Amino acid sequence: MIVCVAVVGHQNNPLYIQSFTEADDALKLHHIVHCSLDVVDERVNNPKKSGPMLNETFLGMLYPIENYKVYGYLTNTKVKFILVTTDLDVKDADVRNFFRRFHSAYVDAVSNPFHVPGKKITSRTFAERVSTIVKSFGFSSAA
Amino acid sequence: MDPAMTPLGKMLLEEITPVVMVISTPAVEETCLKNGLSFLQMLTPFCSFNNIDVPVRTASDQPYRIHKFKLRLFYGSDVKKPNLKVAEQQLKQVITDSGEKVFSELCLDVPGFNHEVASSEDRDTPSWFQFFNKELVRVASFSDHEAFDHPVACLLAVSSKDEHPISRFVDLFNTNKLPSLLKDGSMDPKILKHYLLVHDNQDGPADRASKILTEMRNTFGTSDSLLLSVNSSPDVPIKHQDNPWASQIYNVPPNQDLGCFLNIDDINEIKDLMQDLSSKHIIPNMEQKIRLLNQQVSATRKGFKNQIKNLWWRKGKEDGVDSLNGPTYNFNSIESQIRVLGDYAFMLRDYELALSNYRLISTDYKIDKAWKRYAGVQEMMGLTYFMLDQSKKEAEYCMENAFNTYLKLGLLGQQNATRCGLWWIEMLKARDLYKEAATVYFRICGEDILHSAVMLEQASYCYLLSKPSMSRKYGFHLVLSGEQYKKCDQIKHAIRTYRSALSVFRGTTWSYINDHVHFHIGQWYAALDMYDVAVKHMMEILACSHQSKTTQELFLSDFLQVVEKTGRTFEVTKLQLPVINISSLKVIFEDHRTFGSSSVATNTKEALWRSLEEDMIPSFTAAKTNWLELQSKLISKKHTLSNVCVAGEAVKVNIEFINPLQITIPVSGVTLICEYSTSTDELTSDEKELSVKTNNEVDHFRDMSSYNSSFLVSEVDFSLGGGETTMVQLSVTPKEVGTLEILGVRWKLSGTIVGFHNFELSHPKKNIVNGRRKAKRPPNEKFKFMVIKSIPKIQGSVHSLPGKAYAGDLRKLMLELKNPSEFPVKNLKMKINHPRFLIIGNQENVKLEFPGCLTKTIGSVQTGANANPNLMSETIFSFPVDTSIQGETPLSWPLWFRAAVPGDISLYMSIYYEIEDISSVIRYRTLRLHYNVQVLPSLDVSFQISPSRLRIQDFLVQLDVVNKTSSESFQVYQLSSIGQHWEISLLQPPDTIFPSQTLMAGQAISCFFTLKNSRRLSTLENNISTMPVGSDVLLVPQCSQDLVYNSNNVPLVNFHHYERLQQKALHEDLGDLNTVDFVLISRPLNNSINPGLSDPPHVMSHHACHLSTASTGPISWLVDGPQTLHHDFSASFCEINLKMHLYNSSETTAFVHIDTIDLDSSGGHINSVNALPSATPDNQVGWHDVTPVNELKVSSNAIETQPGKALLLESVSPYIWSATSSTNIHLEPMSPAEVPLQICVFSPGTYDLSNYFLNWKLPSKGLGDSDETRQHSGKCQGYKYYLTVLQSP
Repeated sequence: MIVCVAVVGHQNNPLYIQSFTEADDALKLHHIVHCSLDVVDERVNNPKKSGPMLNETFLGMLYPIENYKVYGYLTNTKVKFILVTTDLDVKDADVRNFFRRFHSAYVDAVSNPFHVPGKKITSRTFAERVSTIVKSFGFSSAA
Repeated sequence: MDPAMTPLGKMLLEEITPVVMVISTPAVEETCLKNGLSFLQMLTPFCSFNNIDVPVRTASDQPYRIHKFKLRLFYGSDVKKPNLKVAEQQLKQVITDSGEKVFSELCLDVPGFNHEVASSEDRDTPSWFQFFNKELVRVASFSDHEAFDHPVACLLAVSSKDEHPISRFVDLFNTNKLPSLLKDGSMDPKILKHYLLVHDNQDGPADRASKILTEMRNTFGTSDSLLLSVNSSPDVPIKHQDNPWASQIYNVPPNQDLGCFLNIDDINEIKDLMQDLSSKHIIPNMEQKIRLLNQQVSATRKGFKNQIKNLWWRKGKEDGVDSLNGPTYNFNSIESQIRVLGDYAFMLRDYELALSNYRLISTDYKIDKAWKRYAGVQEMMGLTYFMLDQSKKEAEYCMENAFNTYLKLGLLGQQNATRCGLWWIEMLKARDLYKEAATVYFRICGEDILHSAVMLEQASYCYLLSKPSMSRKYGFHLVLSGEQYKKCDQIKHAIRTYRSALSVFRGTTWSYINDHVHFHIGQWYAALDMYDVAVKHMMEILACSHQSKTTQELFLSDFLQVVEKTGRTFEVTKLQLPVINISSLKVIFEDHRTFGSSSVATNTKEALWRSLEEDMIPSFTAAKTNWLELQSKLISKKHTLSNVCVAGEAVKVNIEFINPLQITIPVSGVTLICEYSTSTDELTSDEKELSVKTNNEVDHFRDMSSYNSSFLVSEVDFSLGGGETTMVQLSVTPKEVGTLEILGVRWKLSGTIVGFHNFELSHPKKNIVNGRRKAKRPPNEKFKFMVIKSIPKIQGSVHSLPGKAYAGDLRKLMLELKNPSEFPVKNLKMKINHPRFLIIGNQENVKLEFPGCLTKTIGSVQTGANANPNLMSETIFSFPVDTSIQGETPLSWPLWFRAAVPGDISLYMSIYYEIEDISSVIRYRTLRLHYNVQVLPSLDVSFQISPSRLRIQDFLVQLDVVNKTSSESFQVYQLSSIGQHWEISLLQPPDTIFPSQTLMAGQAISCFFTLKNSRRLSTLENNISTMPVGSDVLLVPQCSQDLVYNSNNVPLVNFHHYERLQQKALHEDLGDLNTVDFVLISRPLNNSINPGLSDPPHVMSHHACHLSTASTGPISWLVDGPQTLHHDFSASFCEINLKMHLYNSSETTAFVHIDTIDLDSSGGHINSVNALPSATPDNQVGWHDVTPVNELKVSSNAIETQPGKALLLESVSPYIWSATSSTNIHLEPMSPAEVPLQICVFSPGTYDLSNYFLNWKLPSKGLGDSDETRQHSGKCQGYKYYLTVLQSP
């Protein structure tokens, strides 16, 4: 299950962060997302580790912590997408697929002429789209 | 890099060293206690040797030298596994102590809290970590599974005071008192023993001691017996410069001088003793043991045969006891011996030997499933690899393996796991693998919360030190660690970690995290009763609009609680609640501009007023030079730049308060902070003040806000609901002449905390309404006012001006002016921006009764009121010279109001007056009044004028009235025509038009009038500006004559004038003389008054001006002749004479050419010509035939046309024009002419006599005539004229 998705701007400022748990763990998830930025930075600044995937937007698993796995995705505008999941065996293809859909949703959201770049995404449509993407995350593997 | 020089290497050289067991008698301790030391403590400082040179040989006879050595001394009773509880207590104490210490340091730089950034000094790992880690390692010591903690020697100390010293020595090494390690057989009890006799020189000379020594030498051997004399210094205590014990012992009472009775000789003696002990006894002894063990090991385990044997033997044992610890090995088992060999080799730095032995034993233990031992060996292997600086991978692998194995053991291996982890971490750190080190720290965190807190904190520092530094993880782990600290009541540590974490999160937009950190720091500080700092932190999170409502409530209530606990009203400069919208800041003050109400000042544009007052006030430059000359002595030049305000008149500041939260917050006591100085020279001290301000803003503001008699400030209380924004008007009223500066605003939140906001420090750009100032003005000048002495200020208002009115509404209003001051004013002038809506009346009008004054009274001729209509063209109205306003009696002046057009209308009125007191800085003032009127659409009136077919210069006027209101009903009362000699009359009696006499909402009505031009040629010279005359038609059944409204009365005539001016712009044909103006007067019906309108209208007038009558061109004509006639066609054809009347309504002579066309040119041709104009009926400038038959909707007419057309189609009886087929005439301007026409008819029938054309031409005005819209020539088809000829009987 996906517990949290986040969009982080190129100055590492949170643009959108949404948790999908009932529990009141927003703060924890904020921390996790915030920390994972370190790993993103590390991945980006050490290209030799990710040699063959130089132009790859998908960053793979960033780090496993306690019960979570954190995945990252970096767009060409240096906007980061972070996915926090509790699933322990996640297929890379699923995550890639998720990020691709998430990216297109994001692109649509920021293409809105009323969206101020660098400001938080407040679009309700975006939130709805994201939640449907999140909901469909588990099922796509079955299909 | 030399591994021995790394922190880990140093640590190992200190920690993994031979242990010497010390056993002493109470008398020895007593002797030492005189110095405040125990025997062990006394010896300890001299146990590490940095400068010795001991030759050693390896097992394979390789010589090498040891230069650095260390012994660890332990009392016999301490040679056991440390008590966990005690150890824990100790650790806790360590943490608490260091917490206190670090925290107190931290508190010192609390004032600089905001500037402190975690740049460099903050990033050094706290020193107490080292100590803590050492203690942690020590907890795991004296385990039976490893040998380096096993004592290699025993030092027995007996005092010379003791009875029977020799037997005491024997007693001391009694097996009953020996530590369990030696007793239970896990180590060899036959260890090197050393016998030491301690003699206290204060007890007397050493005679007895030397006697005992000889006895000892005889008993225990010469080399193992020693004498130590101490306390040789006389009774005076010695102060040691750098006390060797100071670094060893904690919790020393400060007055205690350690080693105060030990003189230099004593110290040297101890030194020599220890050095001898280590270099001459311990090291050689160890070396020897290594050789011995090595031989044994080689004999039993080395070589192919032994290996096979060992393997076989072990396999056989496999079915044995499988306890968690594996089998127990006592000291003479070969496994223990190998281990001891390894450890001894390690301690003597023969790492190769150590490693080979560790390797050997490791597999054995693994096969035996002695996991703890296995882990211990792995650990040592890792360390040995490290010390050898060999395969790094191997080293790490071993450490990890050991760590994991320890962890698997659970509680048993907990301490060892921690120790192993710490060594592993050090190993990683030595290789700059900080990130990995951090993860190990993370793994060390066990169940003990306090430990994990410290470990997490250390992990965070590792993240910071890693390259690239991972500051976010640093922050996160600090927060985690802070949480843990909090859980075990280490609040000070918690605060410290959180504060370090702040440096990561500050300035980022991760507000949730930020809030969390600030909130907890605040709470914890509050728990420590440090409310000031707590408040500071809590304040950061007050404006947390992103949080949920409950969180906001929690934050606010906690904050208020903390503030309450401080027990005083807290005063802060950066209170974020409520948020002040500084861009909304507007300063309203009145210098020579005064305002009717404050909303006038804020909502209107200065430029508008300026343009309005342009003509009225003396020109600015002139005024400036004037009073500069006049006042130059009084006012310094700098002052000319600052704003001027008048004593006794309030300076107002509008400012917006925004509540970002979802909860209601009470705000009270909102006042301006002002500074007043009496003298004008104060400006020089400005710089000084400014510095004061920056240093201690709060105090400064507190001073400023204290009561000051020279000005009054208003105080506002309000409560802001969730998300609300309130505009607050604050005012300050200076009472004396001087300088007033507005510094900022202060308010009280929830009655407990006072916030200040300094205007200067915020935005550089201010939105000043009354900005007649240079752009380069320093910002604080905008808030600086020169207070001048009181001058008169007129207050004015317009009474009974409706906020809403229907279009056309006509009212009389009263302007009331008051001058409360005792000084007179003079030279009053007034200007209004919309004369179409508002007209200034005359003094006489005051008495006029409205609306009665509008009606035509029978006796009254045109009174003098409108004798001078030209007056109105002047836009500035000057009040009569003798007008003076003073004291209580107000001046009332009538104003006429008419809602001219629908829409939202802003009425600006400016009243100018001069002050008689010449000495004042301000010589004139203006009063600005501003009103908004919403004008609703009422009646939509449109006129259409078409020439009458019956008479030349007669017109048919169609009036269409539509009631556009939603509910109102009106009575269309009267139509008046204003123009040159126009006479208007109704076609039908009013009863038939308005049976109900009302026009309901949404209803439309049309009615027709005939309009007659009664002008003659002689009136040509009269132009429009002459006194308008009109005629009036009542549209209601006439009841009494005197209710006819006179459109020539004031103010109708005035409004009409402005309407004309206004509508002139719309109508292009200015030169057209044949225009007519209409005034339609309607009245609302009283029974349907909308309660929404406070004041119902009485009379409404609708003006339509410049309606052109000459819609058919300048030439109008009419064919005049009989309609029906009888003729005896048997006798002859019929000749009929007709007359064409022509009239030229233009100003120039027109050339007219009439062509008659006989029917021969086919009927189709006529039709096509007919069709041509009708195809373009919308073209207003073009010629088109406005056939009355089509226009008239009266039913009777419509029926008439139908048969007429039918007739034309049926009987196409030919007729011919029999007079001149073409006539040319010149028509003089404004003159009629007649042209005779004649036709011949050959048979009875009905004839359409329209087949003629009339061409007209006006002389071109030449080049100057740019008016392209006017036509200079035209061609018109003749009007339809039906003539019926009947056969006479």
